[in-house]
Amino acid sequence: MSVPLQRWKMISAATLFTALLSGCIATGGGYGYGYDGNIGIGQDYYEPVGGYYGGWGHGYHVGPPRGGYNDHDRHNYHGSPHSYRSPPPSHHMPSIPNRGGPSHSP
Amino acid sequence: MLAMQGFDHVKIGTWQRRGSHPGLMRSCLFAVLLGLGGMSSAIAAPIQLPPIVSPASQEHHVGKAIFVELITPDINSAKQFYSALFGWTYTDTNAGDTTYSQASLDGRAVAGIIQHTLPAGENKQPAWLSFFSVSDVDVAKKTALAHGAKVLRDVHDHPARGREAVFADPQGAVFAALASSSGDPADMLAEPGEWIWSSLITRDVDAGATFYQTLFDYEVFDLPSDDSKATHVLLATDNYARASANTLPTDKPNVHPHSVNFVRVEDAAKTAEKVVSLGGTVLVEPHPDRHGGSVAVVADPQGAPFGLLEWTQSDSKEVAQ
Repeated sequence: MSVPLQRWKMISAATLFTALLSGCIATGGGYGYGYDGNIGIGQDYYEPVGGYYGGWGHGYHVGPPRGGYNDHDRHNYHGSPHSYRSPPPSHHMPSIPNRGGPSHSP
Repeated sequence: MLAMQGFDHVKIGTWQRRGSHPGLMRSCLFAVLLGLGGMSSAIAAPIQLPPIVSPASQEHHVGKAIFVELITPDINSAKQFYSALFGWTYTDTNAGDTTYSQASLDGRAVAGIIQHTLPAGENKQPAWLSFFSVSDVDVAKKTALAHGAKVLRDVHDHPARGREAVFADPQGAVFAALASSSGDPADMLAEPGEWIWSSLITRDVDAGATFYQTLFDYEVFDLPSDDSKATHVLLATDNYARASANTLPTDKPNVHPHSVNFVRVEDAAKTAEKVVSLGGTVLVEPHPDRHGGSVAVVADPQGAPFGLLEWTQSDSKEVAQ
């Protein structure tokens, strides 16, 4: 076998070896749920298709309350069994922050 | 295979003894180094994510959604969409083949956008991921696991950003926990174009609220509702409302529990129209919510859902008793 041919075979083998090694290391493990975790950042997040919306009928409210909800606005705060802990009736229901920052409008 | 057969015929010791093929040795060494170089780029240090808050704050608000990220198959299209809709600007960071784009509004970080192409045959939609503030991610992980959550991305560090992990709660809704290196954003009223609210849509609100209360020490308030088929609760810390938890509509059995994040807008109807004109879709038509302003749910051109929420200064004022 000629030396040039051997040389190319050696180079090819070395390249193949390192390429395979790269592949073994660079391939991330799957996390399921579309979360591959293989882009080096860790937020590889996709929802399963089917995440369409609807069924938000009358009274289906998801937003925050305005400031000033009083105790009487809190239904079931006493008596309805929950697995979570409800704050005492004396706690007013909070709203979102209402003040602007230095670069926010007042 | 041919190369490997050839490899069998070559005696490295023979080369060294004879010294007859130094060029071959150099070539092989070069090939290995070249390959290792490629390998090192493939396993290069993770992309350096920017801080959440700049300049750094000393604030920490456990349970607050302090950042959101979008994984999208078309980052350029997504950037154009959100820029046209909300005026976001971008700073790109690259590492290898990965591009991370930090979106800002008036100099304040509002989101991260990451390009990631789905493998062929994967039938999934991109989504926004919420990062909730925690003081200790490792403790949060331990607590989450003990109460039925799953780890989707284990605890890891990004020095400038912080320590984080991604979980699926016991009902399958995905969220991230982040201990920010730069502190948390201050409790300010979001500007139009900034994230203002987060809602968990889940099958069992009671169980969901209990899980997140355990994790984030939320105060959980029952919210009044005319909807007899659904339960709505408010999750609060530091005397501020942080999120709501709401029953997944029963007529949508295929919908997976999830969170939807809302951007503050001045006019939900007009913004929804603009979403459509930019190639997005309206998933829930604008309609009044409990505070009096409208909410809507829309999707960007790649299908990632997000909400629109009108909020005026007067909405923040206390209702006259």
